[in-house]
Amino acid sequence: MAAASRGGGPKAMELLRALPRVSLVNLRPNPGAKKSEKRRGRGRHGGKKSGRGHKGQRQRGNRPRLGFEGGQTPFYLIIPKYGYNEGHSYRRQYHPLSLQKLQYLIDLGRVDPTQPIDLTQLTNARGVTIQPLKRDYGVQLVEMGVDIFSAKVNIEVQMASELAIAAIEKNGGVVTTGFYDPRSLEILCKPIPFFLRGQPIPKRMLPPEDLVRYYTDARNRGYLADPSKIPEARLELAKKYGYVLPDISKDELFQMLSTRKDPRQIFFGLAPGWVVNMSEKKILKPTDERLLRYYSS
Amino acid sequence: MAARVLRGLCRARPALLPARTPPGIVHRAAAGAAPSSEFRSEYALDRLYLEQARSDPAEGSQDGTKQTSPDIPMDCLSISYCRSSGPGGQNVNKVNSKAEVRFHLASADWIAEDVRQKIAVMHKNKINKSGELIINSEVSRYQMKNLADCLQKIRNMIKEATQKSSVVSKENSQLLIARVQKMNRERLRQKKIHSTIKQSRRVDFD
Repeated sequence: MAAASRGGGPKAMELLRALPRVSLVNLRPNPGAKKSEKRRGRGRHGGKKSGRGHKGQRQRGNRPRLGFEGGQTPFYLIIPKYGYNEGHSYRRQYHPLSLQKLQYLIDLGRVDPTQPIDLTQLTNARGVTIQPLKRDYGVQLVEMGVDIFSAKVNIEVQMASELAIAAIEKNGGVVTTGFYDPRSLEILCKPIPFFLRGQPIPKRMLPPEDLVRYYTDARNRGYLADPSKIPEARLELAKKYGYVLPDISKDELFQMLSTRKDPRQIFFGLAPGWVVNMSEKKILKPTDERLLRYYSS
Repeated sequence: MAARVLRGLCRARPALLPARTPPGIVHRAAAGAAPSSEFRSEYALDRLYLEQARSDPAEGSQDGTKQTSPDIPMDCLSISYCRSSGPGGQNVNKVNSKAEVRFHLASADWIAEDVRQKIAVMHKNKINKSGELIINSEVSRYQMKNLADCLQKIRNMIKEATQKSSVVSKENSQLLIARVQKMNRERLRQKKIHSTIKQSRRVDFD
């Protein structure tokens, strides 16, 4: 049977003819695959007191409920209530991505710095794991490893601290912060299961009221900010952190560094309204005027 | 909701003060402008922010900014990093995060002469024998942040040295002296009143 796995076409056929038929008599699981369960009350090691101890509530199965402290006011009742976790399910969470981890991924070749880096690229590289159902709204750039970061990237995250933005721009890269509503985020993180559903790509929703101010600010490099204010913000950061702002327009990768998604677009190169057929490797685009107007609104 | 807010932000603004971008800094919208094959929705940046006519410089405004927040030329400073002090175990022993910035004060052309002398007087404890002003910072665990802190300290020093002490005019100084004297007189009067009250409560058996 071991030899059969090695054989090519004709050899395998001959072996099949020679060997006995596969049946329940010949089959056996791999050693260590099946571990038999522990059964109490059957002999020397499972038997006698059957793991229940000697007399008392323990053996007789009458122990009090979890948290009971013998009559003393239990811990979970003595501590006063306070709204630490009140409304926790409405709070937006952003998975932290340190610059150290980003540098690590780039060095190992898991993330390609010659292409724009997106949440999809980070998820494919297994650098971050986003759970949109657990109120995750994306990824935030964190400053850990800012002194060793030395990669020129075009990265799009959901939030970024000032020092992280400065570190990326110092190395000649480009940062953008963009908002993804939970449905778009789920599609962005797991594109293939979405394409297999056969639904058209939805348009990305705009940020809620409290986030509009964040994403229209050039200092946060928001995707809805005035593009003319961004160079000033870059200069300001360069002056504050004391580095010379590299001129990215003279860069050879300038075209890649300046690619940016439209505010209603989820994927680079795919517009809302398109249906991606994975099995036939085709993209279907809507032609009805009303649909086109809806998807570009 | 967000859509209305965005539109309000952008359309309500007519052509504002035209600012020409300093050379060498890139314009995202202009340079990376969406080619016709790319998708453009109603909220595309060039639709949200109507292109403003760019006319000539900003050289004026650039000089303005230079005066208000002095641009520290990084090549004139010598920056070094060393290990910080304090607790922290292996991390503080190995990681160089304390930033030190030095520059020769007397030959710093980017600071005005009188300001330079004032700094030499105010911060003479920070100047070494060879005339270099030394500024340290170990506020944070990142070199970049500590460097930014050093630069901010330099800017604060220059700002303090540039401030002129306010000269009190003659009438005002006399007013101030009169006020202080009046306060003292009133205080003594109140003290005497309090003393008479306490004396009136004393009982003398004689």
